[in-house]
Amino acid sequence: MNKGMVLEKSKLSYWLRQLRKEMSLIGPMRGENSDIVFKTVENIHEIVLDCPASIPSPKEFLFPQKEKMFRYSKDGVENLRGNKGRLIFGVRSCDISAITLLDRFYGGKFVDDYYMSRRNNTIFISIGCNNPDITCFCIGLGSGPFLSSGFDIQLSDLGDRYLVEIGSKHGLEIIKDFIHLFSRPKKLDYDDQYEAILSSQARFEKRINLENARQKILSGQVNDSFWEVVAQRCFECGGCVYECPLCTCFNVIDRPYSPTDGVRLRVWDTCLFKGFTKMAGNIWPAEKKIMRTKRWYFHKLIYYPEQFGKFGCVGCGRCTITCPGRIDMATIASKIDMGDRRRKGGGG
Amino acid sequence: MSRIAEIYLPSKAKVIDVIEMTPDSKLFMVMPEMPFKYKPGQFVMFSLWGVGEVPISIASTFGVQKHIELCVRRVGHVTSAIHRLKTGDDIGIRGPFGNAFPITNARGKDTLFVAGGVGIAPLRYLINEVIKNKKDFRRIELIYGSRNPSEILFMDDINSWQKKGINVVLTVDRKDKDWRGNTGIVTEHLNKAKVSFKDAHAFICGPSVMIKAVMQDISQLGMYEENIFTTLESHMKCGVGKCGHCYADGKYICIDGPVFSYREIRQYNLNCTP
Repeated sequence: MNKGMVLEKSKLSYWLRQLRKEMSLIGPMRGENSDIVFKTVENIHEIVLDCPASIPSPKEFLFPQKEKMFRYSKDGVENLRGNKGRLIFGVRSCDISAITLLDRFYGGKFVDDYYMSRRNNTIFISIGCNNPDITCFCIGLGSGPFLSSGFDIQLSDLGDRYLVEIGSKHGLEIIKDFIHLFSRPKKLDYDDQYEAILSSQARFEKRINLENARQKILSGQVNDSFWEVVAQRCFECGGCVYECPLCTCFNVIDRPYSPTDGVRLRVWDTCLFKGFTKMAGNIWPAEKKIMRTKRWYFHKLIYYPEQFGKFGCVGCGRCTITCPGRIDMATIASKIDMGDRRRKGGGG
Repeated sequence: MSRIAEIYLPSKAKVIDVIEMTPDSKLFMVMPEMPFKYKPGQFVMFSLWGVGEVPISIASTFGVQKHIELCVRRVGHVTSAIHRLKTGDDIGIRGPFGNAFPITNARGKDTLFVAGGVGIAPLRYLINEVIKNKKDFRRIELIYGSRNPSEILFMDDINSWQKKGINVVLTVDRKDKDWRGNTGIVTEHLNKAKVSFKDAHAFICGPSVMIKAVMQDISQLGMYEENIFTTLESHMKCGVGKCGHCYADGKYICIDGPVFSYREIRQYNLNCTP
């Protein structure tokens, strides 16, 4: 697909206003403490563009932090699966890349119907990042700052106008009724987009090579004494997991209203938490902290590539912002990578 | 849009009988509203409204009767609540989930079963299946260890297996005054198995420490690691490879297992001894 159109910036809010009539519009806005949060847009002018990464990631609209699964009663069970149509505007490329991977994770042999019914009713308009944050490192992972596929609609900010790329049927649907707002792109528009991409790429401060880190782990160059130090610095707060666009674990709990009536919920869970693997009878496979810490990195650096051919990290940098122990993915991956280089240098 | 299956929604089932087997183990006869096919080694998610959901392996043999049998030992919060169930109570059930014990390659060879405590339950269907096709297998042996003689589960089955020509070695940790049989843990009696270890397949289930010890010992006795199978337990919330609780070393116990060979356990460093 990937058809291009051009939209004057002055026409953006009209387009969004029209789309909002059909489905709820969600976009990045300033929350309390000036964090960027995705919420339902009341006033289109409050949408913040060219902003830092939102906390948490937009995965919460597909996999909410707390979700009612079904209601149980004497009459049986009633599925409470939500499938409200949503338009999420202003999503970053890295988050779109994460969602493309989540689609594969929640799909597969057993399809997670809660995720998938939301996903099928959600349209994303993403914006290529002209100004990466200092914590961003999608550039080494192919998950940003601009995408060539995987999006519904991708906007590229070209100053006074957007280059609008359509990447899916969903994307086409929200354009076709408003085609009069858009014009055909000229060569200049693509040239300007190319400029914007190059300029953005040049401004990344972090160049993290996860592949080097992966190779070093696989070849046994990273021993447990390294992970022991990492584990010591982990506060087990779960912040990295909650904000990671690719962390998917959940817990299931029942909330009874009466002995026969209640709801079953699922809530985000964290493999870093102590009781995560604890079984009845006090059997506890990942009792040691180092095992839990290692598992988080190994899942993203080793097992994700084995299962999906991609890292379980899109370089969004949220764990770098959040981690109080400074053992975020970027720091640890570059420590693993650079550690060897330093040794080489020292050895002459 | 195509309809998506509701994988987390339990279907209704009724408890049609409860048999108290030992002070802490009960056998629940459960009639699912929507019957399903299952294989030896698979498990179901057993749901109690307001309490939670736990994975329980299926102890019955498919096709023998319409209901399924679930042997539950009272260990924690949910299993304690399950033990309070009475005939006629409604429960929720999802499944069957997981892979199955592979028996095709065991045909024409000696087969050794090693069970400890409630670990006999997941092997029961498999043993029945092997006995049903007895002529396809060579020697069939069972070594079964219990804490004490009163905790030997499925004694009727064991008697009928013996009548059908299976060599059964029973052992208890603590004997009582009537016990004339073996004492000690199962690993002390592995040498009583008259199977040719080099060419046999083994199926093991029991407490995780026992599983590890037995796997090590029988591989030392000459059995190939890829012919030794066990079923692993784990904390699980979904049964379908999504919740992450049973995820270890790149494998989901619920969908990649619960049955693994000793070779896989070593290769993936799966945690069968906490």
